[in-house]
Amino acid sequence: MTEDGKDKGAKKKFVYYPGCSSQGSSKHLDESLRAIVPALGLEMEEIDDWNCCGASVGNIGGGALPATALSGRNLAKAEKQQATDVITGCAACYLNTHGANEKIKADIALRGKINESLAVADMSYEANLQVRHACEVLVNEVGMEKIKERVTHPLNGLKVAGYVGCQTVRPFANTDSGGNYDTFDDPEFLDQFAEACGAEAVDFDVKTSCCGGSVSVISPEKTLHLIKKILQAAQDSGADVISTPCPLCQTNVEMYQPAINKKFGTNFNIPVVFYSQLMAKAFGLDGKKDAGLHRNTIRSKKLDILVRNS
Amino acid sequence: MANPLSDSSQKYDLGFARWVYQNVKGGDKLSMCMQCGACSGSCPIGTDMDHGPRKLIMMVRAGMKEAVLTSNTLWNCTHCYRCTVRCPRGVPVTHIIQGLGAMAADLGYAREEDTVRFARSFWWSVTHFGRTDERLVTAKYYFSFGFKEGARRGLDNLKIALGMIKKGRMHLGLPHKVAGQKDLRAILAKAAEIEAREMKEGSSHD
Repeated sequence: MTEDGKDKGAKKKFVYYPGCSSQGSSKHLDESLRAIVPALGLEMEEIDDWNCCGASVGNIGGGALPATALSGRNLAKAEKQQATDVITGCAACYLNTHGANEKIKADIALRGKINESLAVADMSYEANLQVRHACEVLVNEVGMEKIKERVTHPLNGLKVAGYVGCQTVRPFANTDSGGNYDTFDDPEFLDQFAEACGAEAVDFDVKTSCCGGSVSVISPEKTLHLIKKILQAAQDSGADVISTPCPLCQTNVEMYQPAINKKFGTNFNIPVVFYSQLMAKAFGLDGKKDAGLHRNTIRSKKLDILVRNS
Repeated sequence: MANPLSDSSQKYDLGFARWVYQNVKGGDKLSMCMQCGACSGSCPIGTDMDHGPRKLIMMVRAGMKEAVLTSNTLWNCTHCYRCTVRCPRGVPVTHIIQGLGAMAADLGYAREEDTVRFARSFWWSVTHFGRTDERLVTAKYYFSFGFKEGARRGLDNLKIALGMIKKGRMHLGLPHKVAGQKDLRAILAKAAEIEAREMKEGSSHD
């Protein structure tokens, strides 16, 4: 294939921003991304000595400009590595880093303030980078056909509820700077990923409902009912697993099932995995090292059987 | 008093809307709001809020500073951005609510709020290590309520924590730190200094 996109791809240099959850609650997203991205023919190196993106409360804890300066430092580091594109798999990292990057590009006064801040460490950012979500890169840079071609161990018979969540698609998925890769309310890429892997994507009308995000971490009593709605819909759809791209969605929807069962008298025990874990498995990569399936607190029997038989 | 907009005993600060317009990220779009309510109708948690986003915007415009800055709307917002993408007038509702939250925290309206306590623990981790140490941020947040409440919250979540440890998803040992921590702190201090300078310049124009 020598179409335009692929040629441009050859000249791009991707650097990877794993984000803080990659060293804690979402190691399995990091491990599986590091496995599938090269398997799909894209090289990426890690941002040198990256820092936190500011998550959802950085502006409250430290102020708006310091929170933006966190992204400024990461972007300056990436630019120094001669990157053209920054890839991240984390919804919050993407929201903050992409959001900061676009503002720094558009607002010259802000760029001046960020560079005035970076200058104390002899750093600067010329605003030449594009920050991209891993899912958008898979859709636009790799393409569904190539993902399908890479599958060696199709996940036959596995029913997947594609739970996209919020910040992976909102507010950037349907914008030019966000790559226009899908819609805000009814995105299809996650279902297409599942089907490319040989699984069956079930109808799942709460695919962009909110799990409560950081509020579920801070004050879960406020938001358990939001997670319950997602679990109920998954159960009703007959899904074997929920698949998600977002670290916080994965942790919230998986970890709070006992608390939800206690509060609402339900009996949920639904595995929640990352799409990238499913891909790693379908690509025939190692179930532990590459797919990180041992890190899920609720295992999918059906997925485990598929893994064993492969 | 069910409807604070018709409560004549409310204090009004006529400069509030202008302050928000000038200082809150996205605040300059406040005047675009036509009160259609697409935001409140789209909000996953609007029914649990003191005031939905539509009403909150009206209250800002009416100068109801106290009522806005003490509203639980600021802390119940989950940053799902549904309101923002659906607004037919391009008002960045999520950013405005976030900005009002930061303002409420700065002005001392929300010292005891869960989110503000969590934000303090979070920023402590960022300034000390350059990264979020999920384990320490959570522990520091829990114990910000005092030893007894901290221990209670810890015990409540013990099963989750043990599950995470078993699956290798809770980091044990020393926190991960960025190598350039000194540089990062200097950058953040400089950014805070610039922000304070701008605030001062902004208020001297009034």
